Amino acid sequence: MSRGRALAAAALRAAGGALLAAAAAAAAEPGPEEDYVLHCSGCHRLDGSGAPGVAPGLRDLGRLLGAPGGRAYLVRVPGVAQAPLDDVRLARLLNFVLGEMAASPASPPYAPEEVARLRRSPLRDPRAERARLVPPAPSPR
Amino acid sequence: MKGFDRLVESSARSLARRAGRRSFLARLGGLLVGAAAAPLLPVARAAAQAPRDPAPPEDLPGPEGDPTRCEYWRHCAIDGFACACCGGSATRCPPGTELSPVTWIGTCRNPADGRDYIISYNDCCGKGMCGRCACNRNEGERPEYHWYRNNDINWCAGASSQVYHCSVAVVVGRATEPQPER
Repeated sequence: MSRGRALAAAALRAAGGALLAAAAAAAAEPGPEEDYVLHCSGCHRLDGSGAPGVAPGLRDLGRLLGAPGGRAYLVRVPGVAQAPLDDVRLARLLNFVLGEMAASPASPPYAPEEVARLRRSPLRDPRAERARLVPPAPSPR
Repeated sequence: MKGFDRLVESSARSLARRAGRRSFLARLGGLLVGAAAAPLLPVARAAAQAPRDPAPPEDLPGPEGDPTRCEYWRHCAIDGFACACCGGSATRCPPGTELSPVTWIGTCRNPADGRDYIISYNDCCGKGMCGRCACNRNEGERPEYHWYRNNDINWCAGASSQVYHCSVAVVVGRATEPQPER
């Protein structure tokens, strides 16, 4: 084997090893489904249907996402902003919930940088902000 | 009258030919397959996508394999009365009680396969406190930092009755990241 070919083979082996290591790291990191179950599903329930009086359902989040300021609200709401997840996983989780549970994918998808910026200013009064963004229907008399 | 008999007989035979047991079974089969496919519909997709592993090994010797003991492996983060001691089981509420929709979620390591599983500790509500098998292990609880990692909340808040009876320990998935992080 020539010196050049030996070098190329070594480089290939190194690249293969790096790929394998990256694959192993990716496999060890929880996906958004697992993050949802661990950090959200206790109150919003496994299927995102929510529990009246405790936690709102997530299936109709499209309405909130579509309201002016709604995209920021979904990151600034304390349950999201303060979740013990880094920006990359939190962005992935938001995109999963909106795309898979609410069938209203964020467009463009949340990026980690956007999540990082928004979660730095968590909402003081999420209930009031939500009512401002999506006014509740007047109760029938 | 004879004509009527013949008419009834021929229509009964024709019905039997068209609607035999087999066609009933075929339709029942279709219904069962349909019911099995229902969870794949978009409504249930999110739940189906939860990282489920339906069968962690349960053949553990001693108290770690006994749902009526606080040492039971799934009870690592429980705070309450184990439903298996209260007329229910580790996954089923006792008769006369209602499963709370909101719940405390934790993870436990199964000693048989060394893997971590996500456990949902739903409360069973609607009857007075069971009083048997009071377990208070709370591994992973961090109430002073995360309100939702607080096991002292009465999770019956989401049920129609807020009276707490006992807690189940349902495996809802595999955990690649145990709580708390090791």
